[in-house]
Amino acid sequence: METAFTASGLGHAYGDVVALHGLDVSVPEGRIGLVGANGAGKSTLIKILLGILEPTTGSATVLGMDTEASMVDVRSLVGYMPEGPCLPLDQTAADFLVYAAGTAGLPHDAARQRASDVLTLVGLDEERFRYLGDYSTGMKQRAKLAQAIVHDPKLVFLDEPTSGLDPSGREQMLDLIARLGGFGIDVVVSSHVLRDIERTCDWVVMLDEGTLLHAGPIGVDAARTTVRLELNGDPEPVVASLTERGATVAADGRRLIVGHDRHDVFDLILDVTVANGASIRKLDSGAASLEEIFLAKGRRA
Amino acid sequence: MTDTGAVYDLGYSPYDGERLGRTGARRTVFGDGLRRVMGIRRKGRRKILPWLLVIVAVLPPIAFVGISFFVPIDVGEAFDAAQQHSQFFSLGGTIVMLFTALAAPELLIPDRRDGVLSMLSSRPMTSNDYLVARFASLVTIVGAFLLGPQLVLYIGQAGVDPDGVLQGLIDGLPNLPRVLFVAAIYTVAFVPLGFVVASLSNRKGIAASVYIASMIALTAIAEAIVQNATFTGGRFFALLAPINAADSANSWVFGTENAESLFVAADLNPGLGVVAIAVIGLAATAFSVHRYRRLM
Repeated sequence: METAFTASGLGHAYGDVVALHGLDVSVPEGRIGLVGANGAGKSTLIKILLGILEPTTGSATVLGMDTEASMVDVRSLVGYMPEGPCLPLDQTAADFLVYAAGTAGLPHDAARQRASDVLTLVGLDEERFRYLGDYSTGMKQRAKLAQAIVHDPKLVFLDEPTSGLDPSGREQMLDLIARLGGFGIDVVVSSHVLRDIERTCDWVVMLDEGTLLHAGPIGVDAARTTVRLELNGDPEPVVASLTERGATVAADGRRLIVGHDRHDVFDLILDVTVANGASIRKLDSGAASLEEIFLAKGRRA
Repeated sequence: MTDTGAVYDLGYSPYDGERLGRTGARRTVFGDGLRRVMGIRRKGRRKILPWLLVIVAVLPPIAFVGISFFVPIDVGEAFDAAQQHSQFFSLGGTIVMLFTALAAPELLIPDRRDGVLSMLSSRPMTSNDYLVARFASLVTIVGAFLLGPQLVLYIGQAGVDPDGVLQGLIDGLPNLPRVLFVAAIYTVAFVPLGFVVASLSNRKGIAASVYIASMIALTAIAEAIVQNATFTGGRFFALLAPINAADSANSWVFGTENAESLFVAADLNPGLGVVAIAVIGLAATAFSVHRYRRLM
């Protein structure tokens, strides 16, 4: 499988402020989530991958090409939706997208065709002749997404694409992002909202204060199941027995989170509960969420 | 992936055509600059000022030619054609300054203010490509603004030529290289400083005012120093004023007399003024390049 991007010993500092500390990661093609709190280094990483910032240490590749040596070639094949505003307010959406496609290197006729197609795709075909300055926040975000994919990139970087959107706008944006894979476009989407990443991505890179916290497929992590349990009766002997038999238990009063690598964990829980004279009030098998991974790894770090 | 047959979302067709890379990107930014300055494909009110200035610039030569047409004096005796060209250059100077004050901020400021630069910085071009494309738009449009009235004059002169239009066009031909050369001097005198001011301010109105004020101030300072300096070499301060340098180069090239010229007062060769314009232009351009290296 080819890589979407790689980093080796990648670091960047803004003056004295270090934003990325020697990042080593190799990320496959697909839908990649870039997760971290504000200031974790997500935008810095994206800007280095686009060749906008130069790494202070190490190097990076995008689609197998070095970001510094092959900057123009990389940029011909990628799209970028910045977190902040990027729309000329005095142009219509139609004109702006033709312009955006042209700046990505498409010839004029192709640019016009693509602009029209992509505006339809993001649901702005009815509003194409309105000035971008008159757009609502949700429409602006969709126009920003449109300019990022107007030249049919192989890979698109979306920096906080749902920021500033109301719940319905957020849903629409996430649906659009989820569809990009179907267009043959790989996606790197950064967000501090873990749920958005869980919904749209199949691989995740977690950053915390400029260091790599975790990188891996979301699917495999999801397979490492956790059982959530709520008891009637005294939880203490149950916790003791479960721990004794090799399970990891986090208890919050009568609510337990049981981690395991055994396939018969439900039998085990049932046996132990009955043996200790307690009963089960609620049982829930849930995949470990990104939040749990984030908290667990963060605590360890 | 395509060998095994990929399933794509309906309603989306991938693009397999030509990608022009840097060349395409630069050309697009250049063309956008021309439309942006003239307000083309923008709201109506954005068209008013640039086109008003175009009308103001071409009106004098039209009026001049019109008067010669209706009042049949022998214009050839009153002024020769070269003198007329020279005169309309110095007459148009102020309008060109106003036009540059309008155009330069329009080319650079909205891209920074609206964040469009962050979109452009992900496109297949460097910050220098962007600046070169924008600079080319400004030079093209200011150059056209300078040459437009000259062209009207050239055709008008031919139109009122007693020996016929064709003969008039042929007679006026030798002036055209000089017209192009002087237009180039004025362009280099006005454009780079406009670019510098527009690369610094985030408000179009402020940039325009600062630009006009500095052009006028440079002339005022140069004049004050040349006329009142008690130290030796004070006369060389005339080189600081691009407008005066361009005006004196204009008189020099067309061989017209301008006794009030600052360069005559300073006893400087107008050729030196052309060199000064080029040096100031290069320095200003280098500054803009340096500034944008940090922005893109």
